[in-house]
Amino acid sequence: MSGESSTLLVNTPSGPRIIPARWWSPSDLDLIRALIARELKGRYKGSVLGFLWAVIVPLFMAGIYVVFLSLLMGRGLSVERIIVGVFAWQYTAQCVMAGLNSITGNGPLVKKVLFPRGFLPLSAVLAQLFNYGLSLAVQFAVLAMLTLRGGPGVDADVLGLPLVVLWQTALNLGLALLLAAAQVHFRDTQHLVGVALSAWFFVSPVMYDLEWVRPVIEAHPWVEHAVWLNPITPILVAARACCIRSVDWNPPPAGWVGLLWTPLILGLGILVFRRAQRHFADLL
Amino acid sequence: MSSTETAIAAVGLGKRYRVRGLAPPTLWTRLASLGRRRPAEFWALRDATFEVLRGRTVGVIGPNGAGKSSLLGLVAGTITPTCGRVEARGRICSLLELGAGFHPDLTGRENVFLNAAILGIPREDVRRRYDRIVEFAGLSEFMEEPVRHYSSGMYVRLAFAVAAESDPDILLVDEVLAVGDVAFQLKCLDRIRALQRQNRTILFVSHALQTVEEFCHEVLLLHHGTIVARGEPPEVILRYIREYMGEGGPVFTQEFGTREAEIVDVTFRDEAGRETGVFETGRAMYVEIRWRAHRRLERPVFGFSIKTANGLYVFGSNTQITQVPIEAIEGEGVTRLTIAPLTLMSGQYLLSLSIHSWDHAQQYHRREDWYPFAVRNTTGALGAFFLETHWSVTS
Repeated sequence: MSGESSTLLVNTPSGPRIIPARWWSPSDLDLIRALIARELKGRYKGSVLGFLWAVIVPLFMAGIYVVFLSLLMGRGLSVERIIVGVFAWQYTAQCVMAGLNSITGNGPLVKKVLFPRGFLPLSAVLAQLFNYGLSLAVQFAVLAMLTLRGGPGVDADVLGLPLVVLWQTALNLGLALLLAAAQVHFRDTQHLVGVALSAWFFVSPVMYDLEWVRPVIEAHPWVEHAVWLNPITPILVAARACCIRSVDWNPPPAGWVGLLWTPLILGLGILVFRRAQRHFADLL
Repeated sequence: MSSTETAIAAVGLGKRYRVRGLAPPTLWTRLASLGRRRPAEFWALRDATFEVLRGRTVGVIGPNGAGKSSLLGLVAGTITPTCGRVEARGRICSLLELGAGFHPDLTGRENVFLNAAILGIPREDVRRRYDRIVEFAGLSEFMEEPVRHYSSGMYVRLAFAVAAESDPDILLVDEVLAVGDVAFQLKCLDRIRALQRQNRTILFVSHALQTVEEFCHEVLLLHHGTIVARGEPPEVILRYIREYMGEGGPVFTQEFGTREAEIVDVTFRDEAGRETGVFETGRAMYVEIRWRAHRRLERPVFGFSIKTANGLYVFGSNTQITQVPIEAIEGEGVTRLTIAPLTLMSGQYLLSLSIHSWDHAQQYHRREDWYPFAVRNTTGALGAFFLETHWSVTS
């Protein structure tokens, strides 16, 4: 403790500062770990299936899409594509909802203890990453089963998946930071986000494929740009390209631009969160 | 480290809130209020300038809404000031209210590690001190239970145990100890004493004036966001009781009677005859009651009673019991009450006075809990009362 006793907390209208400023300390890692553990254990404790729920829910959703799309439209997307798309989409959707409530759900804590507030949305996202990891294991088990029954199988592209997951995690974190801050200042954010999320789901190629919109694109070429400029589109397509041999990754220029949303949203999220956090305790 | 080092220093510290009612903020209300005037504002804390030296325990008292918790939040860095600045040197630990860092579905053990991580205690340290934490909380059989099954007292015990083991340089205590049972409260206070011996700085918000008096080296009195007094505990606490305790505080004063005779004015004097509100254990205390009788009253009785600030009835007597019959009173006069030696120990007390008829049928004037005074014990003796003692040794 002797080394720490020389730290000085200076609290001014521009926010609290610790001097000497430390960028990182081992106890920060402990805190993030503890918060992730709380998020995960807290959610699944007391439920019979426990962690299996993290996998069962997206699996069910994938099943529903597969069955109903083939029933309704007569032409379902292949099971592989739906599973990969739904699992990746679920990761972002869960992060958005968990991140959104990460500050408002911890009111007493934020009001009483000074710790980096960003750790709350960060640990919410990392807990979802853990869940996504679990569901990826299931995903690959399903893909392997499908390969045995004549599916396309997996090739070396799968090595690119960690990069795609990293890119998506950065996007999710940016969204979590933005929405967590917004939710403190405007409590109706969660209703808007609920609506926006379902709209986003339908304009993103989760349960369909860009092949499906090919006729529309041929009639109106700008639609292709619009589709690819959706921040989640290039990520979903890339995830499929990594996991399914028959899907390739060769996006138009708009797709590469769409990928740039990630650093943009993350940067904006950090900026907004840093500015907003000063008033968190007043509004909780 | 020298003992004169400053642990907490605030300069012109202020916190202003917008009054926005009870509803949480929404985009809709924000848009709806765009065209209107700015909402009303109030200062939870205003122009607070003070210093706390390392190793001191400072009590913060005042009526509800005086700004005590805002002050603590500003020192902890969780609330951003509107103006001014506050500096705190060393590791700060706030005692979390009712396990704010707890998750109800996690076990006691898991919550200890979670809470410790939130307070910034390295995991290794917690592992080393885990047994001591559990022992201190007295919850060893319950550590594998989810804390949702805990009583509120058990919550606080666990929270305090973790905080106490976090070894803070500055401990912020905000009225949480009142929840535990008496045995645990004593344990906590023992622990706070140990921290005091280790030269730790403590900021102590409480309505338990007795505890504040007992533990604090000095006291800050807040009212409407302003520090109105600072100094020795007995004087400041007395001032608080005298001036502000009606405002949501625990004291409910009242007066009644036919007013055929009235208590006009009361003066407290110490042994040397000086007017004061603070008395010393074992010395004399004088109360001068100036009265006015609007008509001749035969055989009146003057009575008094003393309660502690917590409402415990300590003593009551009157001129009838003491067998000092008064023939009659008329016009104005003074009645003197001598309490010598004063056998009360340190604390705040409330004096009630009354004038009534011999047969108790007529209450002329009674002022209930009207006159607060403080007692300071410098004798070194301990306990609930001061007993006049004499020793003799024969061998």
